[in-house]
Amino acid sequence: MKKVVEVFLLFLLLVFTPHAKGTGNSPPGKPTLNRCRSPEKETFTCWWEPGSDGGLPTTFALYYRKETSETVYECPDYHTAGKNSCFFNKNDTSIWVNYNITVVATNALGSTFSDPVDIDVVYIVKPNPPERVTVIVLEDKSWPFLRVSWEPPHKADTRSGWITLVYQIRVKLEQEKDWETHHAGQQKMFNVFSLRSGGTYLVQVRCKPDHGFWSEWSSTSYVKVPDYFHREKSVWILIMVFSAFIFLILTWLLHMNSHSLKHCILPPVPGPKIKGFDNQLLKNGKSEELFSALVVSDFPPTTSYNYEDLLVEYLEVNVPEEQELMLEENKDLHDGCLKSECSTSDSDSGRGSCDSHTLLMDKCGEAKEEERQTDQERMGTEAEDMVSPDMSSGRVKTWPSVFSPLPQYSSNTLDEQSSLEMAKQHYLSDSQFLPSSTSSYLTQPGHGTKEALGPSYWEFCLSNKQPHLLHPQTQARQQLQAHSDVDISSIGRKQAPAGLQSPLLRPTEYVEVQRVNEEDMVHLQPVVSGCGQNNCSPQMPQGEDYSKVKGVDSDNVLLLQRNMMEEDRCPCEHQETNGVKENCYTSSTVTTTQKPTAMPVQDEMVLGMNGYVDTATMCILPTY
Amino acid sequence: MDRAILLLSVLSLGVSSQPITEGQRLFSIAVERVHNLHLLAQRLFTEFESSLQTEEQRQLNKIFLQDFCNSDYIISPIDKHETQRSSVLKLLSISYRLIESWEFPSRSLSVGPAARNQISPKLSELKTGILLLIGANQDGAEMFPDSSTLQLAPYGNYYQSLGADESLRRTYELLACFKKDMHKVETYLTVAKCRLSPEANCTL
Repeated sequence: MKKVVEVFLLFLLLVFTPHAKGTGNSPPGKPTLNRCRSPEKETFTCWWEPGSDGGLPTTFALYYRKETSETVYECPDYHTAGKNSCFFNKNDTSIWVNYNITVVATNALGSTFSDPVDIDVVYIVKPNPPERVTVIVLEDKSWPFLRVSWEPPHKADTRSGWITLVYQIRVKLEQEKDWETHHAGQQKMFNVFSLRSGGTYLVQVRCKPDHGFWSEWSSTSYVKVPDYFHREKSVWILIMVFSAFIFLILTWLLHMNSHSLKHCILPPVPGPKIKGFDNQLLKNGKSEELFSALVVSDFPPTTSYNYEDLLVEYLEVNVPEEQELMLEENKDLHDGCLKSECSTSDSDSGRGSCDSHTLLMDKCGEAKEEERQTDQERMGTEAEDMVSPDMSSGRVKTWPSVFSPLPQYSSNTLDEQSSLEMAKQHYLSDSQFLPSSTSSYLTQPGHGTKEALGPSYWEFCLSNKQPHLLHPQTQARQQLQAHSDVDISSIGRKQAPAGLQSPLLRPTEYVEVQRVNEEDMVHLQPVVSGCGQNNCSPQMPQGEDYSKVKGVDSDNVLLLQRNMMEEDRCPCEHQETNGVKENCYTSSTVTTTQKPTAMPVQDEMVLGMNGYVDTATMCILPTY
Repeated sequence: MDRAILLLSVLSLGVSSQPITEGQRLFSIAVERVHNLHLLAQRLFTEFESSLQTEEQRQLNKIFLQDFCNSDYIISPIDKHETQRSSVLKLLSISYRLIESWEFPSRSLSVGPAARNQISPKLSELKTGILLLIGANQDGAEMFPDSSTLQLAPYGNYYQSLGADESLRRTYELLACFKKDMHKVETYLTVAKCRLSPEANCTL
């Protein structure tokens, strides 16, 4: 009984045990054919994926059917291609034939069919990767490049043309991550250019049939490109040469424009410029030329008389010995000078006009002094040439015409004056009258005579205004101060042999302008007031117009003639040699004349080039 | 351009003493032409298949398992062994027959008016080229061993007998078969060319 129970229990165990084990047992899951491939269009292989096995050992079977027949064949080879695969060899493979393939999974509980798959071998070709890939570095005019060569997969029959493969190459640098792909076509060799110097490259090749799938990439080939630094170095050299060239061009441009740049950046400091001053002459060291260049032709004015200029030449001669004698007379002069303020102003620019008291005083004082000097000299000294031969020794004062009363020089004092002939000519000219620019001259008395030659004053002070001219009584009595070459010596001499043997005989004849008539003729008359003391020259006519202005010639020369009202008139152009009867002296030479009276008046003007005129009276009147 | 080349080749065949060279050139031209036709067929089929919906695609696939190609009556090598065993002339003739069989049905390939126009004239030109090649390779007393290969199958009637109601299916079949046949011709011509080429590596 116990044995039966044991057997029964064992049986039950046996029965239940499988049940206990196989709680997950089920028919196998559905397998799936995932892919079929043909490497050379001659054979192909299919792989499937098994489903759940259901806990039981499962077997798989592959069945296929060709399109032309209904016969179902089973896979001839399950092992060649590995697990869960089926390999179709050449005999079993037909091209351009549709295969209907099904996989069946079977286990103890059942079997499961997979979904059928239709394939055409032609369209499932995926070749093997190319073989024997070689990469070498070649030189092309010192530019290296890679040459990649390979072999088709050994199974693919490209030689008979059964399968046509196209290839692809990809290259990349070792440190980069992007590949550079090149299509090689059907050739089995390819060149890669534009390599980096000293880099390591990775090369891979793959292939594809004309209608199929790409193969896998071949194994990587490593290649190292040698350094071709010298090539890059030449580029640097070229760049350096080019930069140097550009630098040279810039330097040359800068040099060409250096002057303008200097003027822009450092403008020149303006310096004083003297007209006519030549630096080059200075550098040469020829001072004479330099200074001569400075000399303006018309400065100081010598020849041209511009009546518009208000320059008056003023020449003073100092005769120191005769100052005492002139004191008395100088009083008048002084007074006269004091009174000789021009009531009218002149158009001078302010240069020593008569308006200025100081100047006038100086002038008068100077005149006084000179008169004294003259007197002193006249007393006993010989005639000396105190006359400055040229203007430079004397004082040349230029001021416009100033009207000053005619100094009342007494002829007496003049008579006592020494032989020195002092020509103190105040040549004042105003705008209306003559410009006495350059004519300052003195008559030298040096005639060798001991005769006292009184200075003859020709002081003409002309007022600017006409009414003054015609007004003899006013203090602004017209006094024409003409720049005259007073034939002082002749005056003196004339008076000297008049009978007075005294050295003081020679009277100084003073002429004052009486008036200027409408004809622009200056009527001069001798000054008589101071005659009393000295020996007035009896021959000195009174009330006689002297030095009547005859006219002005073309050279702006004032022609003066003695106006003999009662007596004969002398033609101005009359040349006088002996001059006894003649009053007009035209010659510049001084001759001893017997004429006591005539104030030698020159008709013509003689201009000394150096300002030294020889007994020439020169008056210049401006031509209207 | 191609016609000019063909005429030139004909002339050169008569004049030149090296027909093989001319044949190689003709072969190259023919291979290239059929290759382009095959690519065109592939494109047409892919476009058509993509325009179908999934359900229709599955159904058509099942139907297509049955052999409906019109060129099935033409016996052609179906593997490499058979192909290499066949002579060049045989290959050429088979190719000629295949091309000829598609001259008429290609007009009904209704994928697009442009595509339809392109296929027929190309097929005609290709047929002419293959004929030339046959003439060039037919020198000697080599006669067709198998006269059955030269038999031209009646064409044109097959597809006309079918009803017009199943146009979709018909188009699918047409396109599939056309693609397959073009690939066949391409393969045959390539093999024939490589066989005639003196170079060992004929793919270059």
